[in-house]
Amino acid sequence: MKIFRKSIMGLALGAALTMGLAGVSQAAGQELKIAFPVDIPSWDPTAVTFPAGQSIYKAVFDSPLFVGDDLEVAPRLIESWEWADDQGLALKVTLRESVKFHDGSALTAEDLKFTFERAVNKKTLALNGMLPTLASVEVLSPLEAVIHFSSPTPTATKGLAFLSAYILPKAYFEKVGEEEFMKRPVGAGPYKLSDYQRGSRITLEAFEDYWQGAPAMKQVVFEIVPDSSARVAAVESGRVDVSVQIPVREITRLEKNPNLEAKVYPYSEIYILQMPSYGESFNSVHVRRAMNMAIDKAGLSRAFYKNAAQPLSVLATKGSPGDVADLNIPFDKKAAAEELAKAGYSTQNPLSITLYSTNNTFPSDYDVARAVAQMWSQIGIQTTVEEITVAKYLELSHSSKLTGVMLYSWANATGDPEIFTGRILDPRLRFSTWKEERLAGMLDELNRQMDEGKRVAGYQALNREAAEQAWSLPLLQSISTIAYKKGLELNTYQTGYILPQEYSWR
Amino acid sequence: MKNVFLLLGRKFVFVLLTAFLLSMVVFFMLRVIPADSLGMMLPPSATEADAQALRVALGMDGTVLHQYKVWLSGALRGDLGNSIFFHQPVTGLLGQALPPTLELACISLLLALLISIPGGVVLYLLDKKKIEFAADFVLVLLLSVPSFLWGIILIVVFGVLFPILPFMGRMEGTPVVDGGTGFLLVDLLVRGQWQAWWDAFSHLLLPALALALAFSPIVIRVLRSSLIETANSQYVNVARLRGVPEWRVLLVHMLKNAALPTLTLIGVQFGFLFGGTLLIEVIFSFPGIGNLMVQAIKNHDLPLIQGVALVFCMMVLCVNFCVDGLYSVLNPRLRSA
Repeated sequence: MKIFRKSIMGLALGAALTMGLAGVSQAAGQELKIAFPVDIPSWDPTAVTFPAGQSIYKAVFDSPLFVGDDLEVAPRLIESWEWADDQGLALKVTLRESVKFHDGSALTAEDLKFTFERAVNKKTLALNGMLPTLASVEVLSPLEAVIHFSSPTPTATKGLAFLSAYILPKAYFEKVGEEEFMKRPVGAGPYKLSDYQRGSRITLEAFEDYWQGAPAMKQVVFEIVPDSSARVAAVESGRVDVSVQIPVREITRLEKNPNLEAKVYPYSEIYILQMPSYGESFNSVHVRRAMNMAIDKAGLSRAFYKNAAQPLSVLATKGSPGDVADLNIPFDKKAAAEELAKAGYSTQNPLSITLYSTNNTFPSDYDVARAVAQMWSQIGIQTTVEEITVAKYLELSHSSKLTGVMLYSWANATGDPEIFTGRILDPRLRFSTWKEERLAGMLDELNRQMDEGKRVAGYQALNREAAEQAWSLPLLQSISTIAYKKGLELNTYQTGYILPQEYSWR
Repeated sequence: MKNVFLLLGRKFVFVLLTAFLLSMVVFFMLRVIPADSLGMMLPPSATEADAQALRVALGMDGTVLHQYKVWLSGALRGDLGNSIFFHQPVTGLLGQALPPTLELACISLLLALLISIPGGVVLYLLDKKKIEFAADFVLVLLLSVPSFLWGIILIVVFGVLFPILPFMGRMEGTPVVDGGTGFLLVDLLVRGQWQAWWDAFSHLLLPALALALAFSPIVIRVLRSSLIETANSQYVNVARLRGVPEWRVLLVHMLKNAALPTLTLIGVQFGFLFGGTLLIEVIFSFPGIGNLMVQAIKNHDLPLIQGVALVFCMMVLCVNFCVDGLYSVLNPRLRSA
């Protein structure tokens, strides 16, 4: 009897181990598992601006235009385009031939018209806000259309490559209705959605008729793993092939693992310190300049980002159009203290402020805040760090009730200065904290300027002034992290997109 | 028998009243604390006019009392509103997310009982022995480790160092259970899908163990104390004098009586266990209501927070209701109201 029981237990344990190990030694065939930090809110990619989830949308849907690693706008579903006038009110586009949706139907200008006019009519869709001047789409032929804008929109092409810009299938959408579309979405992207478990797992099957060719990875699974330590454990144990957004110190550790590659790479996003113009402590330009000069940005990059995060002096990423290459605000503690003294503050008579920061929203956010607080305290700005969520910060900012500085990350996959400075400093927008009223008119003009050279020069001048006035303090260009199994051919991009359709096993 | 029904009836009314009061408290508190749900939903170019339009569209205009009345009239009809972030009815999201959490809670409770009952008995047996000090020390150590730390430790030990158990999601593959209850262990068992059943069960083990390990130490302590108390009761001494072997005295006579205070504690702790699911579900990427609540809070999704809070309240009230009932069953003296 005892032997029987023992053998049963032995079998059970053996079964458990084999089941467990079977899960670990994955078929390095054509399946790919990615540990991803967030789930998308819904399967309508035009409804939300959700930078973190764009990689998932780009697997199932496709966009009119696309921004690559060089931050240039490239053809995608739209093959070519030209302005029909010189005021930026009508953009003539030619769609790519032979593009199919997952249900086999052909993509035509009618689908473009349907998607965009749906956004025009529904203010709750994010696409409405991302292309605010969109008026209508005129179909000329199955593959040609003219997009009409209500006012000059020189950055229309950037908008067509950015958040929420995707083309939905008109016939399928109208046939099944919105609710059913959300459960069984159909797009023109490289993968079809085969199973969706909310908050847990997204299973995708390769779309053989994808216009760029069928992807090498036939099945891609996005495992939604919100906890960063669990994502690290997942790639280390081999349960997933790729893990993204893991802490930078883990990258250092994983680099030594012979089975894994681990990378820190630059990302088209900037870490900035947002200041409320309505906050008394920040009224003096001397205080703001002192705050700027007291931060050792290179030191922050060294300490928290393995030196991969580029220090910034203007509200633009290095190499992007709005960047002013020769402007550099150096780290100078002495000069900072002197500047602060002009406002009447010093270590003997310190100014007290609060620095708000998120924790674990972007890599090392809280650590950076604490370091900056230390740097400021050393010159006479007594800083208390307070933890806050993005939602809470947005609420304070939108109702103009922000009482301190906020460490914020500003994503902009296009690199265009309109989406950096143009939004950060527009006093009318809910997202800006520094309200300099005269900038409203200046930005309106810049955003209507069809001459790209003049537009860029205008933004560069604005960036110069913003740096001198220290309206918002740029810190570093963001970095993104990734760890993956050796043997996987994988590209990383400044836009931060994870594009499994391009991956293959060596 | 009529007494029992009266007792149960009174308790049921109490449950409903508490649920109603809680819904009011949560609703008003969420709106008194300034929380702009729209911030997450609007694009950077949004103006105040756009915000107001969205507010109206989502039913967030009007006084707080008016909003509550709208919500309550919907709730009584089974409509808990729409999630602002997911653009889906709250009841749908809850319906999908509740069964995994209930499954997790039940398995945790089972594991906790498997750990704490023998644990409590063992500790009682070590009473007044030299090794008791060491055992006590270990127990206090276990008591001080919170459930989310257990979760991370278990992932490192059984997920990475000795990778024998999975730690992400509910299953490796996709469950093929059309029209099931949502309780995978039941659905798969009924359909005879053994490998899938084992897959689902093995995914439950680590998160349930993390919760159970946080739950057990205090139950062990209380059970140990109750056993020590009953050890010198008259009926126990009589049983010993009658020649009943010690192990029978322990298991048949003492345990039943020592179970009563332990049962109350389990009822109270079960409420905390549901609270523990929030962090555990996030760490183990388990798609339950704990995970849903964390997402709702991050996104200031007021209708969803309200819905999940209500569900948590109902679950805790149900558990306490059952514990009260069980108490009356085990202790005949409590059956008269």
